[in-house]
Amino acid sequence: MGPSSLIVLIIAAIAFSGIAVLVSKVLLKATKNKQKGQPYECGIPTQGKTMVQLNVGYYLFALIFLVFDVELVFLYPWAVVAKSTGWLAFIEIVIFFFIIFMGFLYAHKKGALKWM
Amino acid sequence: MNELLTLMKSELVLTVLIFLLLFVKIGRGVRNEALLPIIQVLLLLNFIVGFFFNGEGSLFGGMFHTSSLIAFEKNILSLAVYLISLLFAGWLKKSQHMPEFFLLMITALLGMFLMISSGNLLMFYLSLELSTIPVAAMANFDLDKKRSSEGAMKMILSSAFSSGILLFGISLVYGATGTLAFAEIPAQLNGSPLQVLAFVFLFSAFAFKLSVVPFHLWAADVYEGSPIAVTAFLSVVSKASMAFILITVLYQVFKPLQSIWYNMLVLLAMATMVVGNLFALRQQNIKRLFAFSSIAQVGFVLVGISSNSTLGVASVVYFMLIYVFSAMAALGVAAVVSHHAGQENIDGYKGLYKNNKFLSWAMALALFSLAGIPPTAGFFGKLFLLAAGGERGAYWFITVAALNMIVSLYYYLRVVRAIFMDANEKPIDIIPLGNTERLGLVICGAGIILVGLAGGIFNFIQTLH
Amino acid sequence: MMQPGLYHILFISTALFFMGVYGFFTRRNLVTMLMSLELVLNSVNLNFIAFNKYVWPGKMDGLFFALFIIAIAAAEAAVAIAIIINLYRNHKSIDVNDAEDLKY
Repeated sequence: MGPSSLIVLIIAAIAFSGIAVLVSKVLLKATKNKQKGQPYECGIPTQGKTMVQLNVGYYLFALIFLVFDVELVFLYPWAVVAKSTGWLAFIEIVIFFFIIFMGFLYAHKKGALKWM
Repeated sequence: MNELLTLMKSELVLTVLIFLLLFVKIGRGVRNEALLPIIQVLLLLNFIVGFFFNGEGSLFGGMFHTSSLIAFEKNILSLAVYLISLLFAGWLKKSQHMPEFFLLMITALLGMFLMISSGNLLMFYLSLELSTIPVAAMANFDLDKKRSSEGAMKMILSSAFSSGILLFGISLVYGATGTLAFAEIPAQLNGSPLQVLAFVFLFSAFAFKLSVVPFHLWAADVYEGSPIAVTAFLSVVSKASMAFILITVLYQVFKPLQSIWYNMLVLLAMATMVVGNLFALRQQNIKRLFAFSSIAQVGFVLVGISSNSTLGVASVVYFMLIYVFSAMAALGVAAVVSHHAGQENIDGYKGLYKNNKFLSWAMALALFSLAGIPPTAGFFGKLFLLAAGGERGAYWFITVAALNMIVSLYYYLRVVRAIFMDANEKPIDIIPLGNTERLGLVICGAGIILVGLAGGIFNFIQTLH
Repeated sequence: MMQPGLYHILFISTALFFMGVYGFFTRRNLVTMLMSLELVLNSVNLNFIAFNKYVWPGKMDGLFFALFIIAIAAAEAAVAIAIIINLYRNHKSIDVNDAEDLKY
């Protein structure tokens, strides 16, 4: 089994799919109608416009989520040294979460967390 | 613990201020008229506290270090922020989100304090971001004005791009030297191509933030679009802090590459002065005029920085102290006029002297100082900068700088002529001036006159290190 | 089989950096410009990790720097998107060519 077998496999695969397409093209008579050209051939037609714009509210939620989510990255270096640093590490992480919590409170107060 | 309290005193004071403001905002909320005087007093206290209990030394394994010179630089920035709270009181009282404005401004100031005293590239990058991201949000403070959000967009995109370049430079420095500490990098530098490339990346990021000429295009748009208080913060406080840290980075970290950065600095300084002045000549909007004039002033600062001596450091710090007074006074008057009369064009200032004598004299004094006309402090500031730049013996370079001072006279005096001499059928009515604005303008005027005449101040700065 | 070395990774990160720069200068959609900036920042992350792994294996500075860049990039993107949303409310467009009130 060297590289040559791989080449044989590729040629065989191309030939197989090519023959299948060719056979169907020769044997079947292609029909064209309006229904067939539509994107979805099954199910009921969509109501209204399909390309709706998302509400800005989604972006605001995503923003707030993003900020609080990514802050957690700082926990990785903290976790590495947490055990060896002892109480100092504990106090530091409490301060860190206090700061983040203040940000959360601010967002809550501004009503950024209410849906729409 | 005691050491932490003395060395990081100014940062801790600002952190306490930030949390106080957050508590006020999260709590029941206070009316702007009641809150503003309290904030002004707190900022004044912050400025006064900056003079006492200053220590020297470093913390956190060299991440943070402070000295008497750095403490003095921080005081200049605190003073500028205090003046902003005084001079733009009229605009601030009307603003819907005043606590947030101060929250963002003090956060940015905290970032600048940490940036000036950073001793490690990681610390430098973090504090740089802390000092630029809030300013972009501040630039968008007139929420319903198209221009404000457009300026803010240009600011955040260009600053994010420049910090990307800065980071690429820092990563190459790390690859070439294996360390990020300011104290350890110089020993590893030997002028290899990788290190020079890293330095060029780093320096162009500095040029972006300082709006040095090939990278100056964002500055004018942002200055024009944002509210005048933010323009003042950007053009004075951010510029000053960037200039201070640039001195540290060039003089300490990249000292071995001195011959490379000297030539770069000379070229950029000349380009900055010439382009800033030439563009300022054709501006009609007063904010845009100040934007280009501040670009030109940065060129003069670069002349001082190029000297690579203690005289250079002292002259830059001294110039920045004067620049705080003069630019704040000019922008303060512009803010009052824009707020009450809605005039931002130079033609609108015609005949201002007829009804508003105090404002006109304050503006004239500030413009004389910015242009560097002798009795005012601006003259001495520029004189020391050029003297420091001349130490290296490149006299043609100093000649170009001096010629640029003459060009700048034209556009500064154009505003003065509009105020005092040009006739106008309907000059601006009497503008009611609040007490805080008046106090701010008096402080600025006193600073412009006294800092120049009291020769001891420059000598005092020279003794700091 | 050859192991990927430092130069391969540096090649990728440099390519990524300039792709980001190219995208930043040619794209006209603000959100896409922001994505290009993220590309720049990620190339820097790759640089730091590669230098840390191959050149200075005894030090941790590069790894921590990468972590901080991730966090700062998120903060920067949050502020930028907030500004872009506000711009959209004022301009009804996030194409930079439409943001042209400020010109000289």
